[in-house]
Amino acid sequence: MLKYSLRRILGMIPMLFLISIVVFTLAKLMPGDSLSGEIDPTNTNPQYIAEMREKLGYNDPLPQQYLRWIGNFVQGDFGKSTRFKLEVSAVVGERLPNTLLLGLTSIVFTYILAFIMGSYAGRKPYTFGDNLIGGLNYLGLSIPSFIAGVFAIFLFSFTLGWFPSNGSVGIGLTDGTFEYWLSRLHHVLLPALVLGLLSTASYTQFLRNDIIENSRKDFVRTARAKGTPERKIYNVHILRNSIIPLITFLGFDLVAIISGAIITETIFTYPGLGQLFLQSVGTRDYPVLMTLTMLFSFLTLVGNLVADILYGVVDPRIRLD
Amino acid sequence: MEVTTQKNSNVTTHPSRKSSSPWTIARKKFLKNKLALTSLIFLLFVAIISILAPYITTADVTKVNIGQMSLTPSGDHWLGTDKSGRDVFTRLLYGGRISLLVGISCTLFVIFLGTLIGSIAGYFGGTVDGLLMRFTDFILNFPFLVFVIVLNAILFGKVNGLWVLIMTISVLSWGGIARIVRSKVLAEKENEYITAAISIGCSPAKVIIKHLLPNILSTIIVQATITFATMIVAETGLSFLGFGVPQEIPSWGNMLNSAVEPDVLQFKLWIWVPPALIITITILSINFIGEGLKDAFNPKSRR
Repeated sequence: MLKYSLRRILGMIPMLFLISIVVFTLAKLMPGDSLSGEIDPTNTNPQYIAEMREKLGYNDPLPQQYLRWIGNFVQGDFGKSTRFKLEVSAVVGERLPNTLLLGLTSIVFTYILAFIMGSYAGRKPYTFGDNLIGGLNYLGLSIPSFIAGVFAIFLFSFTLGWFPSNGSVGIGLTDGTFEYWLSRLHHVLLPALVLGLLSTASYTQFLRNDIIENSRKDFVRTARAKGTPERKIYNVHILRNSIIPLITFLGFDLVAIISGAIITETIFTYPGLGQLFLQSVGTRDYPVLMTLTMLFSFLTLVGNLVADILYGVVDPRIRLD
Repeated sequence: MEVTTQKNSNVTTHPSRKSSSPWTIARKKFLKNKLALTSLIFLLFVAIISILAPYITTADVTKVNIGQMSLTPSGDHWLGTDKSGRDVFTRLLYGGRISLLVGISCTLFVIFLGTLIGSIAGYFGGTVDGLLMRFTDFILNFPFLVFVIVLNAILFGKVNGLWVLIMTISVLSWGGIARIVRSKVLAEKENEYITAAISIGCSPAKVIIKHLLPNILSTIIVQATITFATMIVAETGLSFLGFGVPQEIPSWGNMLNSAVEPDVLQFKLWIWVPPALIITITILSINFIGEGLKDAFNPKSRR
């Protein structure tokens, strides 16, 4: 297991190398200086641009430029944002906690909701409650997240007024106080629910089907024959077997949260990495754009890796070699 | 969808009446599935009225009419007008043309690429398989949304917007299909009829096209349906974010884009609810059709 994990992690390196080449090529295809952000895009004086290009080494051969860029990148020097006039790492670092909070809340809610709905539907299959949950699930799987987001804002923010419709924290609150964190939680709740909609639906469906399948197995019959109370059979014997496979979805969640965050954060104008990404496309802030592209690709790679490794952990029958 | 039904009717005209062919069984099962059938009829209805849009409404889709901004639904404008004074119903029809066109084109490209690469990798095996599958893994490891947006940002303005979108979406989405097709081909090519075909001197291309693909066609059709739904979500989602179909072309996603403004979202329901509903119902019905097809092609299911 350890050997396999190590091999997979090492196998990530060539993949990362290839992705970095793609990102570098894309950056080169973009107009202007999209890597270091040292050239001011608003200054169109050709002499200035030529001077800066020479100074920054843009007339060097491409492989040399690539090596310099990736060298800086590995050392944590991502260049300068042309829009904020700040180091990219500072701009990204400022938004990162917001996205982390959003992602974590979304996963927590996904687990809680899916656990409740899935175990109920699995315990009482083909009843009214199960059909209702099944119907909701189908809707959750079919409705695109941006439409769900728009409806959620309309219903919960505007009509009912339960949640704020934008931002990450209320105005005039000092950092670190209890009210501050409460307000942040209040702001993150609705986006997190929308972000977790798809995975909640698939978790619930999976849990329900797995519980139904397990409840027909021999160990359940044995437990019943021994006289184990029905509640204990479901809560201990079956649930223990059905919950473990869910862990494998965690890796895919990571991947889903990245794309999901771009859409959800834009709808809720939530100041996280996804919103920053779209803004950087809109304002042609290429250094930020390229850094985020690298970051998202890296996280996707990690997510897929985690999913693969967890498969092996959960189901020893899957041969890893 | 239409292709399948035609193929089915060809099969039924066969003189042998002893036992029905797998296609006939599948068609009968599908026709019994009321939910899938209703969905199919709905989808065809949406497609037909979108295609016939110029004959159904006479209003100009692109014309901005300052005098008729944000009108509520009335006899003149069945679904009201948007903030630029354009008729929402007309835009819904024309938007359907674009959204369905993008969805279908992407699906065709994705299925073509995925089937090509998956079947070659599965059939030849060995080094070819290794290389092609590493490449597929590489494509699958890209965060889809991120790269479509970046590619669109680079290519925007250089080539016609609609085809840039279709190409970028397709190039980044075929990985899943390739994996499924490959695994199906791997299982199927162990059969004797494939060995027989090879032994009588069929070229690899002929074995794949004439013998392998027809036998995995049901899987491909089901995957195509699911892909179609995914592609419509991708197009409308990207357009909603402002990185999909160019703004001047009406599409369901572009129409929904106006819901970003709190004023429209809160008070002008007729502008954003119709596209939101039609997208959701279209995707739901495509999914129902997909489930129906999966069920119909599954010999184990009895319905």
